[in-house]
Amino acid sequence: MASEAIHSGAQTDAHSGTHEEAHHELPARVEPDVITSELVASTDSNSTGVRNWMWILGIVTLVGIGVGFAKLLIEWGDQSEWGYTAAMVAFLFSVFGGAPLVAIAPTLAKANWVRPVARFAALCSLASIVCTIWMIPLILNLPMLVVDGARRRSIWFEGPDVSPHMWALVSMITLITAALGLIYAYALPDFAAMRDHSTGWKQRFGSWMARGWIGTTIQWRTLRLRIGMMGTLYFFTFVFVHFIISTDFAMSLVPGWRDAIFPMYHAISSIQAGLAVTVLGLWAARRYMGMDKYLHLDQFWSIGRLMFAFTLLWGYFFISAFIVYWYGRSGSDKMWIDYLILGPYFWVFILGVLFIWFTPWWWLIWNRVRRSYNGTAIGAGLILFGVFLDRVRLYVAAWAVPEDRIHERFLTEYPSAVFPDVMDLFIMVGALAGCVFVVLAATRVLPILSIWDVQQFNLLYRPVNYMKTKVSLIGKPD
Amino acid sequence: MQQRRTIDQIHTNRVLLNGQLDTPKWWAPTVITLGIIVAIGFFMIGIMVNKGLGVTGLSRPVYWGLFITTFVFWVGISHAGIMISAILRLSQAEWRRPVTRAAELLTVFSLLTALMFPLMHAGRPWRIIYYILPYDFARGIMPNVRSPLIWDPVAISTYLTGSTLFLYIALLPDLGNLRDRTTGWQNALYTILSLGWRGNPRQWKLQTVGGILLSALMLPIFVSVHSIVSWDFAVTPAVEGWHSTIFAPYFVIGAVHSGVSAVVTMMALMRWLWKWEDFIRPEHFDALARLLIVVATGWLAFTFLELIFAVYGLDAPELALRELQIFQWPWNILFITFVITGYIIPVGMWLQKSVRNNIALMFWSSLFVNIGMWLERFLIIVPGLARRTPFVYTWESYRPSGLEWFILFWSLAWVTFLMLLFSRFFPLVPLFEQKESETFSDSIKIGRVKVPAIVREAD
Repeated sequence: MASEAIHSGAQTDAHSGTHEEAHHELPARVEPDVITSELVASTDSNSTGVRNWMWILGIVTLVGIGVGFAKLLIEWGDQSEWGYTAAMVAFLFSVFGGAPLVAIAPTLAKANWVRPVARFAALCSLASIVCTIWMIPLILNLPMLVVDGARRRSIWFEGPDVSPHMWALVSMITLITAALGLIYAYALPDFAAMRDHSTGWKQRFGSWMARGWIGTTIQWRTLRLRIGMMGTLYFFTFVFVHFIISTDFAMSLVPGWRDAIFPMYHAISSIQAGLAVTVLGLWAARRYMGMDKYLHLDQFWSIGRLMFAFTLLWGYFFISAFIVYWYGRSGSDKMWIDYLILGPYFWVFILGVLFIWFTPWWWLIWNRVRRSYNGTAIGAGLILFGVFLDRVRLYVAAWAVPEDRIHERFLTEYPSAVFPDVMDLFIMVGALAGCVFVVLAATRVLPILSIWDVQQFNLLYRPVNYMKTKVSLIGKPD
Repeated sequence: MQQRRTIDQIHTNRVLLNGQLDTPKWWAPTVITLGIIVAIGFFMIGIMVNKGLGVTGLSRPVYWGLFITTFVFWVGISHAGIMISAILRLSQAEWRRPVTRAAELLTVFSLLTALMFPLMHAGRPWRIIYYILPYDFARGIMPNVRSPLIWDPVAISTYLTGSTLFLYIALLPDLGNLRDRTTGWQNALYTILSLGWRGNPRQWKLQTVGGILLSALMLPIFVSVHSIVSWDFAVTPAVEGWHSTIFAPYFVIGAVHSGVSAVVTMMALMRWLWKWEDFIRPEHFDALARLLIVVATGWLAFTFLELIFAVYGLDAPELALRELQIFQWPWNILFITFVITGYIIPVGMWLQKSVRNNIALMFWSSLFVNIGMWLERFLIIVPGLARRTPFVYTWESYRPSGLEWFILFWSLAWVTFLMLLFSRFFPLVPLFEQKESETFSDSIKIGRVKVPAIVREAD
């Protein structure tokens, strides 16, 4: 192909120029030494802004945990009081647990654009630790499999009485282990960079974690293999956890709710939310952490397209369930529609559909929006709010069903709407703050963008002139 | 990318147009043999129309049998085209290029074939019109537009129209190429069909934009077609095993599994028959096998969910059906065969790189998938109807007749016959895609290593 490399000096600044120019900006080429030193330095917590934010988030997290503990003492055994906590845990797990898939799937498909994104997406999985902590009161309040001498409907047909409780914890711990493995697999070369470019405890820590990494061919090959294996393990665990949470913490609490698509619906909306939180994280990193040199429109555009695809997929999964219930007209079918759609949470449902599906659909459908930093970030915000409302509708409704009605064939009288109390608000804000705190704290140890991924992105990316236009040449090593 | 080699355009033209400009020797005998089978098949269908559905194994309470199973099977195969052409085009997967035409073609012909099965199943095919069009306004007898049985023909005919258009737009540059290389009636035919294609920048732009727009427009149709087919069953709570919310995506992912496997089968045949080793390379099989591992595993997850939530409710009739479907003779043998051929053998094979790069093994493994997927449809449709229920007083088990089996075999011959006929007049590997792939391929030097590279639109 007749192509000519463009000199890096000819490129425009990301913040300058008109909208049209911004669309044709080419990523600035940064020297490898500068990338390493800048990204290693970005982990220093000298910035007052970051330090203040970490203090605020830490305090809010602790207050949330304290209130949660008090609630556990006061409202022990009253299942309906824990709906909002369940909704928040499901929401946070959906959001932060889904984010690493943004890194895993395109990495396995050898997409180049994902390289600068992978680290942040993987770090989000650490929030599973917070979700697991908040799952403890839920596990304590979840009904046993045998209620009033009879076995309730569940996926644990012949399992021990505490199967849902035990497996929820086991699966979450497995997910955390897989997440740590994934982050470590990704971070090995960066630990070596930390060893070679920092001082003090970070140097010692980097040296210990790098395990003698010097970047030989065999080490690189093993690294890729490890990322693939840990990514696959994370993916399977992620799907399993969604299966457990969606069935044990929502579906099985509502008599007559039998929905084979629900675990997949849960997982799909989680990936949608994971994409959204990744966009917001990258947007914040560009704006407040000086990462605009490394994060370009390519990343936002690509994730924007995926967000759009998953928004449509949410609609498809929802309608696939809805149509079957709508046509079925059996008692349990009508119960699903009357309680979870038209019932006490009707307006939550309407708002949820608006934010999770309808508005992002008509927002992200425009290429101009997807090819802009702010446009994708707004789309991401809408989706996150929609997913939150969706989880509130499903989990609060499920936890509101009294335990003494769990053996009914299907619900005939619907519990009225449950509204959050002050403790619920503290818990929800605290849990959210905890997740953000964990991710932010992780960026104080590892750079928010992976150094070696950014280096590889630059190595494999060449802007070139082709006839009268400018194109990108992207290396595809096997 | 490691196996790619530079192929000059003259060689591309000569080799890829060999089916049209220089008919291979095996072509005529094969087409004649298939033609005879097709003719016998039509004769059998004629017998069935004349004698009625009594010549089939259908009887109370199993009214939907092998014909409906085969209808679902061919609709499933038709998902190959859009999966390969549209989705891979939108995701800019380079390896799709030599495969697109064959996949689109498979879509069109399998849809045509699928449409014939409900007609046959109706017993009196002309009466199918009553299902689709209003025929008696005076008495208010109208087709039930709320029924998925009405949505089915609408969705499938929309999909067929769109797929044909998609295929035709992609054919235009190749038709122009053929027009310039032929004489006589062939030249006249290609002149008409190429619609004045000259290959100027405006035409290329329109052709590209048309392809992308159609890809995006076809995607919802692609999803809707098999979803609607699944709703033919899922909206019926009366039959155990059918009323499941997961059916729509489960059918779609199963269709992709089946359709992409059929493309692998076809690619292997094309490579052997036309000797297109330079164009259909092991790397293409490798990429398709990787894609199939993901799709098949997703499909297995849906199968698992379908089964577990069937028994989740602990309803006695549903449990009885699953007992019949999985553990009782002869369904248990079919069920085991379905799981082994649909997933265990093929995916087990594809996990090995040596298999992914071995054309013969890929061919056989893809055939296994479609045996398994046909059985899956059979096991979804028939046991639910065949299970003896309290208010069924006349009851017989279903065993497809010889005529039904022959018509199934006929459908395979019919699709192959149409494909071969097409290959006589139109290239099966798109020339322009092949050349574009050459143009978009380059390499970049990193240190002492040359890395293969591709051209992409700038940010």
